[in-house]
Amino acid sequence: MDNILRSRQLSKHFFQKKALEKVDINIEKGKIYGILGPNGGGKSTLLKLAAGLLKPSSGEIWIDEKKPGVYTKSIVSYLPESNYFYKWMRIRDALAFFKDFYRDFDIEKARENLVFMKLDEMEKISSLSKGMLGRLKLTLALSRNAHLFLLDEPLNGIDPVSREKIIASILNAFNKKSTIVICSHLIYYIEKLLDYIFFLSEGQIILQGNAEELRNKKTMSIDQLYQEVFQS
Amino acid sequence: MEFSNNLPIYLQIINQIKQDVVSGKLKAGQKMPSVRELAENLMVNPNTIQRAYLELERENITFTKRGTGTYLTLNEKIIHSLRKEISGKIIQDFIEGMNKLGFSDDKIIRILQEHL
Amino acid sequence: MMSLLKYEIYRRWKWLVIRYAALITLGVIFYNRTVVAPMQYEIAAASMGKFILVSIVVFVIIIVEGINMLKEDLFEQSGYLTFTIPRSGKSILFSKISLLFLQLTFWTIICFQFGKMFFSKLPLKEISQITSQIDFPFFPSILFIMTAFFNFVLMVHFSITLTKTLLYNKKYSGIISVGIFFLLAYLIEKFYYGPFASQIQHVYIEINNTSDMSMLSAGYTSVFMNVILSVIFFSATAYLLENKINI
Repeated sequence: MDNILRSRQLSKHFFQKKALEKVDINIEKGKIYGILGPNGGGKSTLLKLAAGLLKPSSGEIWIDEKKPGVYTKSIVSYLPESNYFYKWMRIRDALAFFKDFYRDFDIEKARENLVFMKLDEMEKISSLSKGMLGRLKLTLALSRNAHLFLLDEPLNGIDPVSREKIIASILNAFNKKSTIVICSHLIYYIEKLLDYIFFLSEGQIILQGNAEELRNKKTMSIDQLYQEVFQS
Repeated sequence: MEFSNNLPIYLQIINQIKQDVVSGKLKAGQKMPSVRELAENLMVNPNTIQRAYLELERENITFTKRGTGTYLTLNEKIIHSLRKEISGKIIQDFIEGMNKLGFSDDKIIRILQEHL
Repeated sequence: MMSLLKYEIYRRWKWLVIRYAALITLGVIFYNRTVVAPMQYEIAAASMGKFILVSIVVFVIIIVEGINMLKEDLFEQSGYLTFTIPRSGKSILFSKISLLFLQLTFWTIICFQFGKMFFSKLPLKEISQITSQIDFPFFPSILFIMTAFFNFVLMVHFSITLTKTLLYNKKYSGIISVGIFFLLAYLIEKFYYGPFASQIQHVYIEINNTSDMSMLSAGYTSVFMNVILSVIFFSATAYLLENKINI
């Protein structure tokens, strides 16, 4: 099968909230996808389900035709929005950690990327600024030769200089054997990276399509399309 | 490079490359940047670049040497016809634009002579 | 698994060093007091008593930390790392339990050594008079207590994990885990240990007909029962960690 991620009637409910409602999604290998939508719309939930951090309330999700578990975690590189590092770590500890647990981690590439991102290995993670933290998280996530990259809001709170570096890193990590899924509500900067997009709101896919085709059909950028769709 | 929304990005990239060929910015036989390189430079999806390159190859503006990369054609005739095609389009647009403003063809010739 | 254990140690290495350094240092200090004042049995007894107090405090710290090892990863940000790496719930739990086990073993060895040292400073004749009258299964009792505490931690782990399975937020998790824990403790007491109460004996000691002490004693059967319980709770918790929890 050419799908790296697939879901069927996938739903996730929390106590009061319905985060995802019967979502069917197909993500093919070798492309860059965007899952776009307002905060609280279900994007993070979908990514977490794929990463194995959440379990479906109903419906199913498959990574490379397997249910989320130890194997899928080894081929999925998940970048959460929050700061997930152990508080005691320095950057080089984080490098060692990734090397210890992920066989596909390329530590040399990570070191090069750290230089590119202007990060020093000896720095304590707790003393990093938000921008530096974002660059570090992304460096680690993208220095793996994973089959599926799940990036949750990689550009949030990032200054313009870091933003360009992050976009360059994402493009650099891309290859035909891997797939990148980016969740963001900052569409303007990433839309030209995307092959295919999903608009996710209130737990449902309200629009999807090839990015170029949508742009030409509606003669507007995805960013403009987003504003139009979500203004109402 | 700024992209507009009226035309597919891959076409805009093709046009830009064609312009660069005609203007001499890109020389005959010159090596094209790899898909990945160009994608990173323009901050555009690599598949889009791939599509543009495929089209350029189809039009024989570029050719691929296995293992080494993609190169601009050495064929002067192709470059010449490209020059004609692009400049022809600019002139056509210009004439149409001037006509819309009310300039007749004779007036166009005269005003051009004034300007040049 | 070794990597997981490595990072469990890395995460708290400073605390580990401090606590055992303190235990050993204080042990040496208290023991010194008995050395400089030989034959003064009140001092010897008092020093031993102080050491026992310190060792109990360290023991409690080890147990509490043992519980926090899992609680942190379930309810704090560090859970993102722990539960996205390609390791099974079993491995993750096993690494935490292993560290607890290593610590308990280390603690026991230290206390035992100092115990022997202190004991040698006490009036041996009087003590052997008492100990010869007691039919006290020493080793199984120690083992019973250790396995009981080990099991205690696993029961708490299970309670917390079950709570996390049922509730996503942190809000009432404390109360609910405690509730689950007590429910389990009650059920175990009633249906598990209950029928075998005869195995867990009380030993009465008479000393000069003036006083008697009763101590909890146990045979190897009860140790075995503790181990079975631990295995059950371990498996159940590992299953929940792998298949049911939402971070």
